Amino acid sequence: MPQLLGVFEQPDHIAAAAKRLRDRGYTDMETFSPSPFPEVDDAVDEKPSGVRLFTLIGGLVGVCTGYALTLWMANDWQIMLGGKPFSSIPPYTIIAFELTILFGGLMTVLGLFLKGGLPSMKLHAAYSKRFSAEDFGLVVECRDRDVPEIDGLMRAHHATEVSLVEG
Amino acid sequence: MTPPPAESVAAMIRPTPVTGDSKANRDILRVMEGGSLGYFALVALSVGAMLAAGGVWIWQVYEGLGIAGYAHPVFWGAYIVTFVFWVGIAHAGTLISAILYLFRAKWRNAINRSAEAMTVFAVLTAAQFLGIHVGRMWKSYFILPYPNQRGLWVNFKSPLLWDTFAITTYATISIVFFYVGLVPDLAIARDRATGWRKVLYSILSLGWQGTSKQWKAHNRTVLHLSGLATPLVLSVHSVVSWDFAMSIVPGWHATIFAPYFVAGAIFSGFAMVLTMMIPVRRIFGLEEYITNYHFENMSRFLLLTSIIVGYAYLAEYFIAWYGMVEPEQTSFWKRAFGPYWISTWVMILCNGVFPQLLWFKKLRTNIPFLFVLSMLINVGMWFERYVIIITGLSREYDPAVWGIYTPSWPELVIVAGSFGFFCQFFLLFLKVFPVVAIAEVKELEIHAKAHGGSH
Repeated sequence: MPQLLGVFEQPDHIAAAAKRLRDRGYTDMETFSPSPFPEVDDAVDEKPSGVRLFTLIGGLVGVCTGYALTLWMANDWQIMLGGKPFSSIPPYTIIAFELTILFGGLMTVLGLFLKGGLPSMKLHAAYSKRFSAEDFGLVVECRDRDVPEIDGLMRAHHATEVSLVEG
Repeated sequence: MTPPPAESVAAMIRPTPVTGDSKANRDILRVMEGGSLGYFALVALSVGAMLAAGGVWIWQVYEGLGIAGYAHPVFWGAYIVTFVFWVGIAHAGTLISAILYLFRAKWRNAINRSAEAMTVFAVLTAAQFLGIHVGRMWKSYFILPYPNQRGLWVNFKSPLLWDTFAITTYATISIVFFYVGLVPDLAIARDRATGWRKVLYSILSLGWQGTSKQWKAHNRTVLHLSGLATPLVLSVHSVVSWDFAMSIVPGWHATIFAPYFVAGAIFSGFAMVLTMMIPVRRIFGLEEYITNYHFENMSRFLLLTSIIVGYAYLAEYFIAWYGMVEPEQTSFWKRAFGPYWISTWVMILCNGVFPQLLWFKKLRTNIPFLFVLSMLINVGMWFERYVIIITGLSREYDPAVWGIYTPSWPELVIVAGSFGFFCQFFLLFLKVFPVVAIAEVKELEIHAKAHGGSH
C-alpha cells in the first residue's frame, strides 16, 4: 500500500491535518516532529502514554524492596545498637525512599523504551533530516484510490509539499 | 531582450525550500566542531591535574593514609570536605532540570543540559573521594549489602549506609535524566554528522525520529523523572548532612543541618554553573541562547540561597548560645575566634555577605561581576564544609584531646586534581554532546515563528 508524506511548517497545521485524516478513517499514520508539541502527538492518538504505569510499578516494587531488604537483613544478622529494636522503621524508610526513586526512575526509562519503540534499528523510509530541523512530517498509509483525497486534504491544511514515500 | 534561463524562472515561481537545517541546530552543533589551541591547553591542564592527583593517590595506596594530614582527633579531613563539596555542586543540575521543569519555568532550557552534565560529573568526582578517604579502597564494596559466606549484612541504621544508597541512586537517576534529555538532540546530531560521530550518535540516539509515540513517551518520562528527582535532590544532601547530624559532635548535632545543607548545595551548584557557563557562552558565542536574563535568574537563586545559608549560620550561633550547652558554645566560639578563624570568616564573607550585592539589578546583570562572585562562592562553600568538619572534630568535649589538623600536600594535590577530573569531563562534553537542549529551544522558536510569521 502506498504511503503519502506531507510536510508542514507549523504544529497546529499538522495537528489539524492529522485530526481531519483520522476523522476520515485514515488511522494508519505517523508524525515526525523536531520538538515536543503535545497537540501534534494528541492528534494522532489522544490516549495518554502508558509510561505512567511503569513508574508506578517501579516505585511500588522499590518501596517494598527497601523495607523487605532492611528488615530481613537486620533480623538475619542481628546487631544490637544502642538498645534500639532490630526492626527500626525510621532509618529503613530512608533506604525504602531511595529505592522507590531508583526503581521508579529505571522503570520509567524502561517504559520510554517499550512505549516509544526504542531502540529501533531502522529509521522510517519517509524520515529525513529536515524533520530534525524545523519541519513536521505526516505519513499516511492508504489505498491507491485514496491518494488524491489525502493529497488535497494535506494541501488544504497548509502542507508545503506532499509526496509518495518510496521503498 | 533574452529571456532568463528556465531554472531561474522556476526558482521565482517556487523558491527552492531551505530544508534540512535550522539556525538553532547550526549554532549549537557548531560548539562541537574542532577545537582551538586554548581548548586543548585547558584539556592538557585538566588531565595533568588529574594525573598528578592519580599519582599521589597511588602513592597513598602504597604508603597508607599516613601521608594525609590526619592527626588525632581529626580523622575526617580534606577528602570528606571535598566529597561534600562536589555532592553539593551536583545539586544545581537536577534542580534546574526537575524542579524548574515542574514549575514550568521556560528559561531553564538554555542551561539545563550543561547543568545536568555538571551534575553527572560532580557526582562522579564526589564518588572518587569515598574510595580515596577510606584508604583501603579495595574493600569499599564492604558497604554494599551482598551475600557472603560469613552471613554478615550491613548496618542499615548507619547514616553512612543511607549515604551509599542516596549517592548511588542520585548518580544513577542523574545519568538517566541526562541521557533521556539528550536522545532527541543526539538524533539531530546523527542526521548531520559524518564519520565516527555518525556511528556514535546513531547508536546513542537509539533510532529516535520524533514520532508522536516517541514524543508522548518522552514527555511522560521527563515529567515522571522530574517528579522522582525533585524529592531525590532534596534528600541527597539531607542524607549527607545526617552523616554529621546523627553524631554527637558539638557543632554537628543539629536539626537545622538538612535544610541548611540543601540550601548550601543549591547555592554552590548555581555558582558552579555560572563559573562554567560564563566562559563557555563567551567562547562559543552562545549569547543568543544563554542570555543575561538566564544569568540574572540564576543570580536571584544565588541571592535566595545565600540568605538561607546566612540565616543558618546565624541560627547555629544563636542556638549554641541559647542552648547553654558548654561544649557547643565552646565549639562555636573556637570556630569564629579559634585556630580556624580564617576559614570561618572566608565562609561568612563569601557565602553570607558578598552575595547580598545581588540585591542590585546592575550587579545581577554585570557578567564579569557574576563570574568573580561565583568563584568566591565556590571558595566559600569549600570552606564552609572545611569549617563544619574540621573545627567540629578538633574541638570536641574534652580539651585534653583537642588537636589541630592541617591538610598535607598530598591531600591538597588530590583536592586540586578533583577539579581537573571534573573539568576534563566537562570539556569532553562540550565537544561530544550538544551543550544546549536544541529540541527544547527550538520549541520556543517554532512557536514564535507560528505566531509572528506571515500566515
